[in-house]
Amino acid sequence: MKSNLRMLDGNAPRPNAGLGFEGRILRLVKSAPERQAIASGQVDAVIDPATGKAFLLPDAQRALHKDQARIRSLLALSADWYWEQDEHYRFVSHTGAASGSSGIYDENIIGKTLRDSPFDSMSGADWQAHRRLLECRATFRDLELRCTDRAGEMRWVSISGEPSFDEQDQFKGYRGSMRDITLRKQSEALAQRPIRFACDTLDALAVQVCALDSAGTVIIANRPSGAFAAGTRGIGAGVPEGANYLEACDKARGNERMDGVAIAAGIRQVIAGDSPLFHHEYVCNSPAGRCWFNLTVTAFSGVGTARVVVLRENVTERKRQERRFGLEHKVAMADPVANSLLAALPRKDYQGLRAGLEPVTLTYGEVLFEPGEPIRHVYFPNDSLVSMLATVEGHEALEVGLVGHEGMVGISLALGIDVAPVRALVQGTGTAMRMEAARFHKAFQQCTPLQRGLYRYSHAMLAQARQTAACNRFHPVEARLARWLLMTRDRMRSDQFRLTQELLGNMLGVLRGAVTKAAGTLQKRKLISYSRGNISILHRKGLEAAACKCYRIIKNLQVSAPAWPEAVMGRL
Amino acid sequence: MRKLRRKKTKPSASGPAVTTVVVMRLYIANNAPNSVRAVANLAAICKEHLQDKFKLEIIDVLEYPLRALADGILVTPSLAKVSPSPAAKIVGNLSDRSSVLHALGIKESVE
Repeated sequence: MKSNLRMLDGNAPRPNAGLGFEGRILRLVKSAPERQAIASGQVDAVIDPATGKAFLLPDAQRALHKDQARIRSLLALSADWYWEQDEHYRFVSHTGAASGSSGIYDENIIGKTLRDSPFDSMSGADWQAHRRLLECRATFRDLELRCTDRAGEMRWVSISGEPSFDEQDQFKGYRGSMRDITLRKQSEALAQRPIRFACDTLDALAVQVCALDSAGTVIIANRPSGAFAAGTRGIGAGVPEGANYLEACDKARGNERMDGVAIAAGIRQVIAGDSPLFHHEYVCNSPAGRCWFNLTVTAFSGVGTARVVVLRENVTERKRQERRFGLEHKVAMADPVANSLLAALPRKDYQGLRAGLEPVTLTYGEVLFEPGEPIRHVYFPNDSLVSMLATVEGHEALEVGLVGHEGMVGISLALGIDVAPVRALVQGTGTAMRMEAARFHKAFQQCTPLQRGLYRYSHAMLAQARQTAACNRFHPVEARLARWLLMTRDRMRSDQFRLTQELLGNMLGVLRGAVTKAAGTLQKRKLISYSRGNISILHRKGLEAAACKCYRIIKNLQVSAPAWPEAVMGRL
Repeated sequence: MRKLRRKKTKPSASGPAVTTVVVMRLYIANNAPNSVRAVANLAAICKEHLQDKFKLEIIDVLEYPLRALADGILVTPSLAKVSPSPAAKIVGNLSDRSSVLHALGIKESVE
């Protein structure tokens, strides 16, 4: 309470002070209205000009005493401990029920500042901030501090304080109260545990999870969502907490526009309650390649503003596997027509070989064997393309043969040589049937039709190498490029394929610049289109006219090569 | 500035200023019953009749007795009208509404 009340306690006349008291009032108050007000009980205090102090009339004094007692008891209810500090923030007194019992706030605290006391939850910066507050003489509330008591138990206290001033408005120190909030802190920590577990679990998931409110604003997102939002392109990218998911979908442009519109519409339906679930699968072209996403939106009926939960799962790996499986399945279904050598075998002979053949996917850039290495497998390409490269020291490799569906990679084995003479490099991704070298050797010995087929094929390969060697020496780059593209087309059974200029240079034994120039000329004549390694043949007849005669010669050499089997394989 | 902490100062209502602002001082004794009543009574009167057009300073004589003496105040609660003139003074818990209005120079409107 205010200091002036303490003054009154000591100096003011006691209630029922009798005639002396009344006489004093009569002596001081002379005017009629004032005396009348006193008589009617409407006056609380009278000021004595002689002493310059006010004194309370008995009723007012009693009322204030009662007031003071009430406030004291309320204070006692709201705090465990009261304290006072001097102007250097050192504790000078402390009272209260908890005083001395728990070991935190015992007599040892007298003479110490709060910082000297054994509270360990505040950092140096925290203490400095608190000190600045004190220097400003500000009131602080609910400063929560942690310490370990005498029994070694962790305890929490909440401290509030306000500055006090003397009658001359000089700063005297701080005073305030402290409460033991250990129980509250413990129950808070307990209550936090399941929430933290749930959050950690969400963050640990491989799927991206976020919750949206009725307007589509992201309320909360798990860590993978954040990583996605920050790192990759595609729908849902760059939608952090607080941003609007629907707007981001609406803004999708280009290839993603249709998906964006579909996703936004689906989310809106679930928010409106028209549908409990929305499912969408879509493709994003991210810097890392094509990514497939599976998006599921479900209605959310928990507390708070969240209305829907959006789950995004990156299903790229699964999709790729599915496609691979699909490819192999297709090969198996198309069996045995895909490879012409195998297709030419009588049914009985092929059935004998079938058990030793396994379908494999050959990927662009893959090296099947290097010169001098033992040949472990032979390959019968279905729709893949393999280039035979001769390596010459000090030069880039040069193509000496091209194997597609019409032939076999590893023909040396058929001639009794089990070491690779050239490098076999996959030029076109696709499938092939593979057979182990030992198994092939045995089958080759037993199967006459296979022997016949392979002898004829090796003759063709030799002739192809001879023709290519002569062609590379005498014909202009443009004609050679046209020839090579047509050969590739025949073997890939596709008008579109992938290859880089560098590889193309290797194929033809020329520098990149020459390839670019030749490709540019063919493109200008609208025979091919070439962009970023993707080649499309636009006009086959025209390209044939542009090619040297070597193309026809090599093509005619391909014995028993059946006509283009359109229906067999469509490239995926 | 602590003595001014309960001073109520509000700007006059927007538009052309046609009425003068009434400046008052109310002397009280802490939270004593008549003082509390006087503050409440005066607040009600001001709200009803003066809206924003008044300045009121509340002075606790237990804290600042000399200020009261300087203004010629001996008993509290007391209300002093400082301006506009004439100055006026009224003693008691201000429960007599008409005499307060009279002292402040406000004509009570008849409804």
